[in-house]
Amino acid sequence: MEKILLRNIDIQDSHTLQVYESRGGYRALRKALKEMTPERVTEEVKASGLRGRGGAGFPTGMKWSFVPKDSLKPKYLICNADESEPGTFKDRLLIEKDPHAMVEGVILASYAIQFHTAFIYIRGELAFGAKVLERAIAEAYQAGYLGKNISGSGYDLELILHRGAGAYICGEETGLLSSLEGGRGWPKVKPPFPATHGLFGCPTIVNNVETLAVVPWIIDQGAARYAAIGTEKSKGTKLFCVSGHIRNPGVYEVEMGYPFRQFLEEDCGGVPGGKKLKGVIPGGASMPVLRADEIEGVRMDYESMQAAGTLLGSGGVIVMDDSTCMVKTAWNIARFFAHESCGQCSPCREGCHWMEKIFARIDNGSGEKADLDLILNISGNIIGRTICPFGDAAAMPAAAFIKKYRDEFEEHIRQKRCVLT
Amino acid sequence: MDPVKLTIDGREVVTTKGKKVIQAAADAGIVIPYYCYHPKLSIAGNCRMCLVEIEKMPRLQIACNTDVSEGMVVLTQSPKVVEARKSVMEFLLVNHPLDCPICDQSGECWLQDYYMQHDLQGSRFEERKEHDRKREIFGPYVVFDGERCIKCTRCVRFLQEVTRTGELEVLNRGDHSTITRFPGRTLDNPLSVNVVDICPVGALTDRDFRFKVRVWYLKKTPSVCPGCSTGCNISVETYQNRIARFKPRVNEEVNSHWLCDEGRYCFHALTEVERLTSPLIRQEGGLVPTDWETALWAALTGLGKADPLAGVLSGRNTNEEAFLFGKVIAKLSAQPALEVFYQERELTETEKVLKSPDRSPNFQGARDMGVSTNGGFDLLLRELIEGKFRGAYIVGEDLVSLPGNGEKIRQALEKLSFLVVQDTELTSTAKLAHVVLPATNFAEKEGTYTNRKGRVQKLNAALVPPVGALHDWQIFARLLPDVGEKISSHTPAEIFQEISRQIPRYGGLSYATIGELGIQLSDETKQL
Repeated sequence: MEKILLRNIDIQDSHTLQVYESRGGYRALRKALKEMTPERVTEEVKASGLRGRGGAGFPTGMKWSFVPKDSLKPKYLICNADESEPGTFKDRLLIEKDPHAMVEGVILASYAIQFHTAFIYIRGELAFGAKVLERAIAEAYQAGYLGKNISGSGYDLELILHRGAGAYICGEETGLLSSLEGGRGWPKVKPPFPATHGLFGCPTIVNNVETLAVVPWIIDQGAARYAAIGTEKSKGTKLFCVSGHIRNPGVYEVEMGYPFRQFLEEDCGGVPGGKKLKGVIPGGASMPVLRADEIEGVRMDYESMQAAGTLLGSGGVIVMDDSTCMVKTAWNIARFFAHESCGQCSPCREGCHWMEKIFARIDNGSGEKADLDLILNISGNIIGRTICPFGDAAAMPAAAFIKKYRDEFEEHIRQKRCVLT
Repeated sequence: MDPVKLTIDGREVVTTKGKKVIQAAADAGIVIPYYCYHPKLSIAGNCRMCLVEIEKMPRLQIACNTDVSEGMVVLTQSPKVVEARKSVMEFLLVNHPLDCPICDQSGECWLQDYYMQHDLQGSRFEERKEHDRKREIFGPYVVFDGERCIKCTRCVRFLQEVTRTGELEVLNRGDHSTITRFPGRTLDNPLSVNVVDICPVGALTDRDFRFKVRVWYLKKTPSVCPGCSTGCNISVETYQNRIARFKPRVNEEVNSHWLCDEGRYCFHALTEVERLTSPLIRQEGGLVPTDWETALWAALTGLGKADPLAGVLSGRNTNEEAFLFGKVIAKLSAQPALEVFYQERELTETEKVLKSPDRSPNFQGARDMGVSTNGGFDLLLRELIEGKFRGAYIVGEDLVSLPGNGEKIRQALEKLSFLVVQDTELTSTAKLAHVVLPATNFAEKEGTYTNRKGRVQKLNAALVPPVGALHDWQIFARLLPDVGEKISSHTPAEIFQEISRQIPRYGGLSYATIGELGIQLSDETKQL
């Protein structure tokens, strides 16, 4: 399979402008500025079938077309580089190894929607990535790819790098906006949506790093080539970050629709140490876990994952072998979300901590059988009733662990200790 | 204003485009519970109490942030909605201390009310509750209990959007979220106590009021704030014939939902005084008690011989009193100098949200009644100091205690040949009088005030006056026949009827139709 997103990362000094350009970098931008109208760029991205890689999978070209054309307000493009989903480290690789692909993607997207200011909101902990990006942006300015009159086209764009301060919720697009505005990273109530009332109340588009980084390839190679890869509804390739009990952890670029079992066993080398696969979280810690027996026939695309009762999410694949205590795992995940809940709306603020406390009690041997149904009920009372998707992200895995490993939970409660040790 | 037709709980509701479901429902008398929503603040959408079911939408929606649309079908009582409310209540009570027996909000707490209406189940929460700061002093009048707070952020939004002072913000995350002051800030802006009014729970309470009385013992009388001429609509809340607190009443034409701190607490100075309960008359050796008959006769004969005569009426006197006072003075003096107390002060930007620059709630009404014949109060005061008058009839104002000119006024009053002072207490001014007449305060009488913008509003009696004191209008009504003016009106309502006959601007008004929100005088009648 031809590498699209990871095409440059193994090259020496891939983060520099010189290397990026020597491999065809900024060709797409020059092409777009010379030969394509902004609408044409949007149409090309629409035709490619590219869907948002941040987790929700919303068609990118369509998102761009939601921006009101007649608005007199300033408009902003934001590249969401606040990658913080547990088990996810794909954007980090792109940021550190191929920052110019991202920068070029930002410029192309901004040109397509005719924005003149763009931000990259990078997770605070990615200090090295921020340095790399800073340098790449400076190089792009120097080369005339950013700033006034880009490559003599008359198109202007300013790109500003902003470092977050370390909150998971700032990866949620409206939480990100609040944070970028200088406020608490609190998601905003919708409607209105960012496309019309985003940053500082102005039309705003927020796209994930991986989404923007692939745009130059699509413009350069043509939408048809991209659309030929993948499945009917999930086009192109996607990055998956594999971690946990797996022989070859790392970031993989996979064609959409690739068989999940084959990916885990062949591409990633399977579970090491003669142990058996117990479960896998396919899309970051916020997505429902799949039992080993559930991955049969599942393909790595949005539709197949959904049909299996989980979501493709960010592509953070967390593999667990049969030595993994699911009570502890569930508690660990619950603890993460309880800690990261922004506290704005009632169900999430109170419910996440409540679930975490019950998981902790079960883990330390003070659980009761009724606790399991209580968690399922609390989880149900959070899902779909919060301002942002965080509530679902916290409640879905909690419920999934209990539903899929109920026997182990009940045995843990009965024996008042972990049944695996 | 495009009409929009929607169905709420099977009822057809016609509303206007741009309204939220929660407003459209409220207008139709359908109550959707909420905490964080407030009609005068931005939409926060955080409490999730107003979740409703909307046809064709897979998830429940918050009614406070959902625009009405043509043909929309809303369910506010469906099993899904009822169950969701129950769960939101359960979440809100997870870390709540349930200390109702010692909480001052008890009895007017939305958690209590909604628990009875929407929850009514035991808590399934058996873990350790999170703790937070207790009894933190936020400002001179406001105290905070973090454990009772439901983080609706109404206080934060009020201070950002209405006063624009921004003293408070949310701190920390998750169930450690709490409301805090910015470092070095005190919640002491001139409208600070409104955060207590809008706090739906016992998190923010009024330091002046709390622990005085359980709210269910309060008797509530709709009235008008006597603090200034804005005329904020208030509820005078009393217990055992004492005022426990003022609360604002909603009147979009006057004060919206708000009340300033100065107005809110002005009742202390106006009512908590050592009351006069008998007329006093000056005899050798000082003021001695006498009966009303003697006092009134002495006042009339004294003032009648003391022309030129100055009449000073309090800015807190009602229209009915001003009307009668004008008549009394006119009979006593050929060229009466008559003014209602009026002094202005500088206001800050925050004060201007609500306050007027004066402290005379009815100066406009008094002037309408003719209590302004001398070119303004300042001129009258100057002439008084200059010794232009021989007699004075001062009602309800302690001129000697005015900052600045007090001492000069004292000397001027001491030189008068006759001085009558009518007040609720023996003020420094009253101590100089030849006759002192014991009167009542704003909370004890009924009548009307006309605010700065020409809105006639009703004052209602919330307290029983002490035995021995008479309302100012009663005193004037008793004086009138003695000076030869026939009077057939014997109640504020009848006097107001007389006003509507004699004062063109008030033509056609009737006491009974003023109602609880008042009536705006039209500018055309003003010109007549």
